[in-house]
Amino acid sequence: MKLFKKITFSALAAVFAVTASFAGAASAAGSLSGKITVNGSTALLPLTLQAAKEFQRMNPKVRIAASGKGSVTGPQAVKKGIADIGACDWDASIDVPGFKAFSGQVANKVAVIPFATIVNKNVGVDNLTTEQLKGIYSGKITNWKEVGGADADIVVITRAFGSGTRVNYQAKALAGGDIVKKEKNYKETGSSGDMKTAVATTPNAIGYIDLVYVSGDVKAVKYNGVAATSENVINGSYKIWAYGYYMTKGQPTGAVKAFIDYVQSKKFQQGSLKKLKFIPISAMK
Amino acid sequence: MVQPTYDSTPAVNGSLHSKGDSGKRHVRHLLANTFARYYFLFSILALCLVLGLVIVFIGKTALLLLGQISPADFFLSFNWTPEEDKFGAAAFIINTISLTALTLLISVPVSVGMAVLTAEIAPVWLKRFVRPILDLLVGIPSIVYGYLGLTVLLPLLRRASGESLGDGLLAAALVLALMVLPTIARISDDAITAVPGKYRDAAYALGSTRLQVILRVVLPAAGRGILAAVILGMTRAIGETMAVVMVIGNTPQLAKTLFTPASVLTSNIVMQISNVEFDSTWNYALHMMAFLLLLISFLLILVIRFLGRKRREG
Repeated sequence: MKLFKKITFSALAAVFAVTASFAGAASAAGSLSGKITVNGSTALLPLTLQAAKEFQRMNPKVRIAASGKGSVTGPQAVKKGIADIGACDWDASIDVPGFKAFSGQVANKVAVIPFATIVNKNVGVDNLTTEQLKGIYSGKITNWKEVGGADADIVVITRAFGSGTRVNYQAKALAGGDIVKKEKNYKETGSSGDMKTAVATTPNAIGYIDLVYVSGDVKAVKYNGVAATSENVINGSYKIWAYGYYMTKGQPTGAVKAFIDYVQSKKFQQGSLKKLKFIPISAMK
Repeated sequence: MVQPTYDSTPAVNGSLHSKGDSGKRHVRHLLANTFARYYFLFSILALCLVLGLVIVFIGKTALLLLGQISPADFFLSFNWTPEEDKFGAAAFIINTISLTALTLLISVPVSVGMAVLTAEIAPVWLKRFVRPILDLLVGIPSIVYGYLGLTVLLPLLRRASGESLGDGLLAAALVLALMVLPTIARISDDAITAVPGKYRDAAYALGSTRLQVILRVVLPAAGRGILAAVILGMTRAIGETMAVVMVIGNTPQLAKTLFTPASVLTSNIVMQISNVEFDSTWNYALHMMAFLLLLISFLLILVIRFLGRKRREG
């Protein structure tokens, strides 16, 4: 057993030494080196990945790790100290319906995210009003013919509770209306990608997603007669959009601040961010 | 594996050489044996520790739930509306059990049949063809099965049943059955191959047909192995998450028909765990569901083992 103890001890010692050296490296880091961890919204993920790529090219010593799950994981990860930046589709430093404020966190606006109502390609309807959407999601309207389509059951696809897309869609497109679970023809998906696949492969399906993800597989419908485009968001006629935020513990410093500054910079906002179909924050003022 | 062999062959070899050499050999073997013994002991202890930690940590968070809501509310209520502080998990528990049962109902006959085919009936070239394919199928990540279920199986089910969604227990059970099929088939195959040839010879000598030999002699003799295969398949089915999430519909309600969009323990946990605040009743409820999953699979394994033993004794 003695040998055993020795092995365990030396292994532990090695682990400690490695950890210590990493910690040392991190604390000795200059202003623009180190590691930035970004966690949270899948809606903001394409933007974060693109920004990280460009930022790392300019600052080779900085490493950025980004991943996405649901919006609320962002501020939660920041609270727990797992992530430096929590990407969130709402301002998590104040109360929103269903979620309490994360105290001590600062919300940094980084983008405007437009959301779109999408339907399967076989659906003939291409415009829906607020009242119609409310009816569909509350379970009062169950057939497409009630909103001017063919005689077919509506398949409602929605995101799980806690998704930022859902929070914003419910607040803006449904004007705070309920999303009610139904006996049949109701399905929840876990991420923006799943939502798109589900709507694309299910005939008569309706769902919602951020505009960035909309492509030829699904059809984006007009909202109260207004098409879901960046121009209509900017000129104020299309209402379903929200600011995307980077949540940080206190005011950002060092490499984290530099990264957020880069994302907010004119160069990125007018360049890559626009190309990704997000909208620059300055456009909304 | 290192075995204490220094009193057989190495000693004979050693005696041909000098005495010192044989002594060194002896010491080397002794060391190797001691090391191996400690290594195995360490592995077993590490495994127990990890398993214990999993149970303790999940259990600890799970039991916090009981301070917040009553067990009756959790286990007997069908109302899962966490937004309104209603945490009834009965529907998930029943769905999980029925999904596992349905999966086994579909996959066990097929996979044991395949095992009989590859082990007893098929010509050598077919065996060489089927076995590697089954091995490959085991290694495919479950999310791939889920995606195929979503894009290929669901449209087929929709066309066949006339449903407009198609998600539900049947879709999930079919996907799971395909996933556990290679596991059950390959392990049963090994069990059947391991049945001594003399049993078959004796049965044939008594004038049995091939079917009689397989049904009356080979399958009962391989029973324990096949049972182990079914247990492995079952534990995979009950804990499988990613594939199920994509085809079951994720609606927290009791599955009254095979096509009702429903939710099982695993799919509900994975859909919600990341969107839930850490210190909330909701989080404790999800941990309780995970703990329950542990208990259910543990209980099912016990039951099946017990049944297996009874049948062998009877």
